Amino acid sequence: MQIPHWFWFAAVVLLFWGACGIFQKLATNYISAESSLVWLILGFILIEPFVYPGKSLLHYSKENILWGLLSGVLSNLGAWGLYVAMKSGGKASIVAPICALYPAIVVILAPFLLHESITLRQGLGVLCGLIAVVLLSV
Amino acid sequence: MIVSKLGAREIPAPTMQFLFTLGSLPVGLALLAGRRFKLEKERKGISYAILTGILSGIGGMGLFAAYGSGGNTAVITTATSLYPMVTVVLAVLFLRERLNWIQVIGLGFAAAAFVLFAY
Repeated sequence: MQIPHWFWFAAVVLLFWGACGIFQKLATNYISAESSLVWLILGFILIEPFVYPGKSLLHYSKENILWGLLSGVLSNLGAWGLYVAMKSGGKASIVAPICALYPAIVVILAPFLLHESITLRQGLGVLCGLIAVVLLSV
Repeated sequence: MIVSKLGAREIPAPTMQFLFTLGSLPVGLALLAGRRFKLEKERKGISYAILTGILSGIGGMGLFAAYGSGGNTAVITTATSLYPMVTVVLAVLFLRERLNWIQVIGLGFAAAAFVLFAY
């Protein structure tokens, strides 16, 4: 069995975002979710000096730079939307599992926007994954 | 996630994280403005939230690197969305929370997903 290359990067995501869940929970014991999002963005800013690309940024296409910027806008708007949904009376037991289903949007859009397809085995994995995230976020 | 993939095809993960943060700023400012630039000043809460941002940024670079490696976007997005399983396990270990049976079944499905993705 050969483990795919992306798997190791995904492991980093799981580990660090998994730990985020704990610290986010601890943060919201003291401050509101919206405040925590603002301070979280400050955390992003603290990383900036370490990832500053310098002049090499000019070598990338404007289109892809725009995608990079847009990923930050959309991701944080999504997080804000989640807090607003909770604040405006949405039940956490309903809002959280629905939001956790965001990979389903990617699964639906990827064939059209990225011209990617998945194998039957990968499809089964996606199905298991979607069931898992819903159950884990209830 | 789709736009992250589009950018990460050419741009390396650290630079994507740099751009991601620049994109986060207007949203943060809008949030601040919505709260009339008033935030709670509880030091512990602020520290935990900033730490969350740092960890989230490092994890984000992992995601951009995974997208940049050429793997299938739907599979990578689903696999990385399973991070609550780590949170659940850490909560049991460090916050002494107890697993309920729904979470146990969730962990089982997550494990099955990874076995299927690993091939």
